Amino acid sequence: MIRRLIAGGKQFFGLHHPGRNLRVFPDDIFLVSYPKSGNTWTRFLIANLVYPEKHPDFANINELIPDPEGLTKRHLEQLPRPRYLKSHQYFDPRYQKIIHIVRDPRDVVLSEYYFDIKRRAIADDFPLEKFVSRFVRGELNHPYGTWGENTATWFYTRGNSSRLLLVTYEALQSDGPRQMEKVAEFIGVPADPDRIAFAIQQSSADRMRELEKKQGHLWSSTKQTRQDKPFVRSAKAGGWKNELSEASISEIESAWGKLMHELGYELAVTSLANAGAGRR
Amino acid sequence: MAGSGLIKHLVAGFKRSLGLHKPGKSLLILPDDIFLVSFPKSGNTWTRFLLANLRFPNEAATWANIDRLIPDPTGTAKRDFDRMPRPRIIKSHECFDPRYPRVINIVRDPRDVVVSQYHYHRKIRKIADDSPIEKFVTRFLAGETCPHGSWGQNIATWLYTSEGNPRFLLLRYEDLIADTPRELAKIATFLQLPVTPEIIAQAVERSSADRMRKLEKEQQHGLYKGSRKDMSFVRAAGAGGWRKDLPAEQAARLETAWGPLMHHLGYELTTRTPREVGEYASLGSATTTPN
Repeated sequence: MIRRLIAGGKQFFGLHHPGRNLRVFPDDIFLVSYPKSGNTWTRFLIANLVYPEKHPDFANINELIPDPEGLTKRHLEQLPRPRYLKSHQYFDPRYQKIIHIVRDPRDVVLSEYYFDIKRRAIADDFPLEKFVSRFVRGELNHPYGTWGENTATWFYTRGNSSRLLLVTYEALQSDGPRQMEKVAEFIGVPADPDRIAFAIQQSSADRMRELEKKQGHLWSSTKQTRQDKPFVRSAKAGGWKNELSEASISEIESAWGKLMHELGYELAVTSLANAGAGRR
Repeated sequence: MAGSGLIKHLVAGFKRSLGLHKPGKSLLILPDDIFLVSFPKSGNTWTRFLLANLRFPNEAATWANIDRLIPDPTGTAKRDFDRMPRPRIIKSHECFDPRYPRVINIVRDPRDVVVSQYHYHRKIRKIADDSPIEKFVTRFLAGETCPHGSWGQNIATWLYTSEGNPRFLLLRYEDLIADTPRELAKIATFLQLPVTPEIIAQAVERSSADRMRKLEKEQQHGLYKGSRKDMSFVRAAGAGGWRKDLPAEQAARLETAWGPLMHHLGYELTTRTPREVGEYASLGSATTTPN
């Protein structure tokens, strides 16, 4: 009862976190991705591209590119426009300008596994294969659907190129300047090579690790997590090749192989004919 | 926040404390809930009547009780949701939502959907009586005629997330029209409802277009308040009317935008060959407005 009253009071003053009930403005730009797909890195990249004078770091990133689930309704409505918003949501028809970051699900699951150890959701010795099964079945403790569901809802509704820009984590890794040029053009920021090079350098894994050491205790996503485990981990593509068992790779590919193939991820152990199309 | 804004806010808070508000997206979903999902104007109301009459054979569905029998999160009070017998069957026009535990998805040929929505918007005075259908088709393709995405987006979010999922039942409005008892039997099996052929026959009869039209005349209530009384909500109640009512150029625009999805659903293309519109799997750029 008291909890309900507090919630009601917060709602009255606009102090609640709106999440999916976010009020969307027509000029909002959304940075959409499934959790653990390089969203934080991309947030840094874009923040450094758009607001270089604000020196983006873990202390102000929530302010520069906020998460509707992390800021209050009142705060969100007072931000300067156009707003750049981070989101893990599945398809939302109100989003009109979207940068969709996609990452190979075989790496996403590894990243999620280590993050769940860091935030004490699972023990250090939790079997990775068991974790992969949970991941594929959508049994992780978040409301964003499975990787296949979430990604399919954006990918198969993407429409014309002025509405949604698809950027893979892997392309950002291997070909950052060109991908950032596309991002700059998409959001209407000058695509000047110096500015882009600066944004990439300011968001490098080394620099983010350094910032995390100094500010990890300040940032909402890491402050109550284990400090002996880093948030910025390998920051590389393809770690799954060494760490996932063949059974785990097969489990992921048979669930989402068709969608993975269309996104350009080569299947390692499953033939396309036996692969699923973005289903649970 | 001053004056009438504050009063409105206070009234909303008071309603909320009594559970009289509509829960909308904040609806608390229960693990045995069943969602009846469709894009607007795809036979959702008819299917609601059919399902209400199937699920509650002792209480004939009418316009007055339908919001209680098969509630709508944006039209039924939270209090009524909390009091419903379980499992609840809930109406929704939303795009894919991973929280929905079981889904019956009704799809309808978009060429008929656009005609139906066009007439409905004239009825509720959203557009002028003589507003050209070309203009409406443009907005329909862009997903601007309702808050649930375009037809292609809405359908794609469900189809691409449900392949092989036993908790998802896809039905076509056209099949429901062609053989209602057969399709209702599928629904009953999906829901594990113990029904007899008599209950199915009764549900069909109690949800017939004639009965729904008659009830509509007698029960001009809340939902359609302020809309034109000279046009009925239950309109043609048929399939394929677009062949007569939709100019060929307009049908062609829909087929260009959503051809692969339409072909996949078994809707015959009249202005393009399936080869021309591309494969269903490479749907992608075809799900929304072409540039």
